[in-house]
Amino acid sequence: MSSNNKKWFSLNLGRKSSASSGSCGCGKTSGGCGSHSSDDYEMTDEAFVAAAVDASIGEERTKDGFEQVFDVKMDRRTAFKKLTASLLIGAGAVSTSCSVISGDESKEKAQIDWEEQFKGNYKLMTDEEKKATVDRLMRSYELRTGKNISMSSKNAEENILFGYAFNISKCQGYMDCVNACVEENNQDRDSQMQYIRIHEMKDGNGFSFDEADDNYYHEVPAEGHFYMGTQCFHCDNPPCVNVCPVQATWREDDGLVVVDYDWCVGCRYCMAACPYDGRRFNWKKPEVPEAEINHNQHYLGNRMRKKGVMEKCTFCVQRSRAGKNPACVEACPTGARIFGNLLDPNSTIRWVLENKKVFRLKEDLGTEPKFWYFMD
Amino acid sequence: MQYNKRIMNKWIYGFVFLMLFFSCKHGEGEYHGVVEKIEAESKNYHGVTVSSEQYHDGIDMIKISEGGHEFLIPERKGQIKMYACTECHNKPLSKMQTEGEQKAHWDIKLVHANENTMSCVTCHNPDNMDQLKSLTHKEIDFNKSYNVCNQCHTKQFEDWKGGAHGKKIGGWAPPRASMTCVNCHNPHKPHFESKWPARFNTQTVKERE
Repeated sequence: MSSNNKKWFSLNLGRKSSASSGSCGCGKTSGGCGSHSSDDYEMTDEAFVAAAVDASIGEERTKDGFEQVFDVKMDRRTAFKKLTASLLIGAGAVSTSCSVISGDESKEKAQIDWEEQFKGNYKLMTDEEKKATVDRLMRSYELRTGKNISMSSKNAEENILFGYAFNISKCQGYMDCVNACVEENNQDRDSQMQYIRIHEMKDGNGFSFDEADDNYYHEVPAEGHFYMGTQCFHCDNPPCVNVCPVQATWREDDGLVVVDYDWCVGCRYCMAACPYDGRRFNWKKPEVPEAEINHNQHYLGNRMRKKGVMEKCTFCVQRSRAGKNPACVEACPTGARIFGNLLDPNSTIRWVLENKKVFRLKEDLGTEPKFWYFMD
Repeated sequence: MQYNKRIMNKWIYGFVFLMLFFSCKHGEGEYHGVVEKIEAESKNYHGVTVSSEQYHDGIDMIKISEGGHEFLIPERKGQIKMYACTECHNKPLSKMQTEGEQKAHWDIKLVHANENTMSCVTCHNPDNMDQLKSLTHKEIDFNKSYNVCNQCHTKQFEDWKGGAHGKKIGGWAPPRASMTCVNCHNPHKPHFESKWPARFNTQTVKERE
């Protein structure tokens, strides 16, 4: 067992690099423990993930609502299958790690999987723990794909509160922001997930979302219409955070509402609680072609998600905490999007709030969005 | 009876007091809204450590100060392909416009206001092609061409100075760098063309069927 002060139980998986080599989770140092006996239990990464998913949601991926509970054909075989699947995960990890035959790399992989499995909520981690998990995830990516990514765990800085302003008289509905967002944030290409929606509204009808179209395809701007964009508004009083049963989503000190994808259980309460449709769910494993993956990542931002977790706009935390503008702001050709630090009295966002007639969406709900609309 | 009433009154007052005491608390937040929070917390603002300067790499900038706002804009003259103009314009315009010879600037057609309002020499100085000019024939440097635009577009100029009009370069963090008028608008044809949206979500179409 490792002696450092961790919040979870650690296995010494017998890697050559570690101090006491050759010992196994079962406590024996020689190959006498049961889990050494066979290599049949060694799992590939895909099998590991498939088994994990099967064990956790199984058939539910195709069903919705009460069907998940009532419409389940469960014979003895499936029941056993589900039981053994979860057993296999543990057994797989242990056997890989204890096996004398398997290479150092697969042991390291198993060690990482183990530590990742039992790590705590990111919100509660110390800076060292945050760095450790980010290092593990980077190493894991390297072991799996042979490619390097950079992942940051940069914390919120003092004197920063991020805010956003959107000029509805400038937006022309070109949707360059949507494309930039998808590419920056590694969103699933297959289900064409997009955080931003641009609504085409009829002039004279105000904000009537039921009559608006957010998936138009004709030359824009269309006569007699105006355009407005919605995304996560990073509310200062976020209802999505209050309903999360496992506290996997929270508001950071710089105002960003973020999700720990490894702590999220996928209950989608937050999705229901959000009055702005700002949250998205991964119904399947997100897929991004290797060549298109953005390798500049943040733990709370655009790192690769898995199946069954929530995600949403983070104001591009990997960019904004480094001093850049979010990808949507940078991509907008009309200058309709303005981003900045609300606490800096000289920032342009503050000038907009103080000198333009600004309003927020559904202001009466008391969610206090940090996303203002204005007109020329 | 009188005694009972007094006790009852005490209870009621006590209850009302407790009700008021608890109902005046607004959740956990210190502020009533985010605007109040911004006002309060920005009072002792003392700068941030992040900077956007590293993202200005490779762009020549000049510092300008307009209406109390100090910020950077891209240098312009180095970006004009055939600057200095006087390298060709070395004699008066009337002498250069000879019939039959190959035309320069044939690709520029003025689509900006109407013919009564604008012609080439509304902005260009025929006496010194290296400079622009104001409506009152004062010289304006190409690097500060926004001073030509702001003669008519005063509202846009106010918004641009404050940061509500136009785009930033680099990022949100100081130092502020903004694009200038001609970085987005072609001064000879300043409007934005209509075009097809960059995205059409076929999955959404399927979901809504």
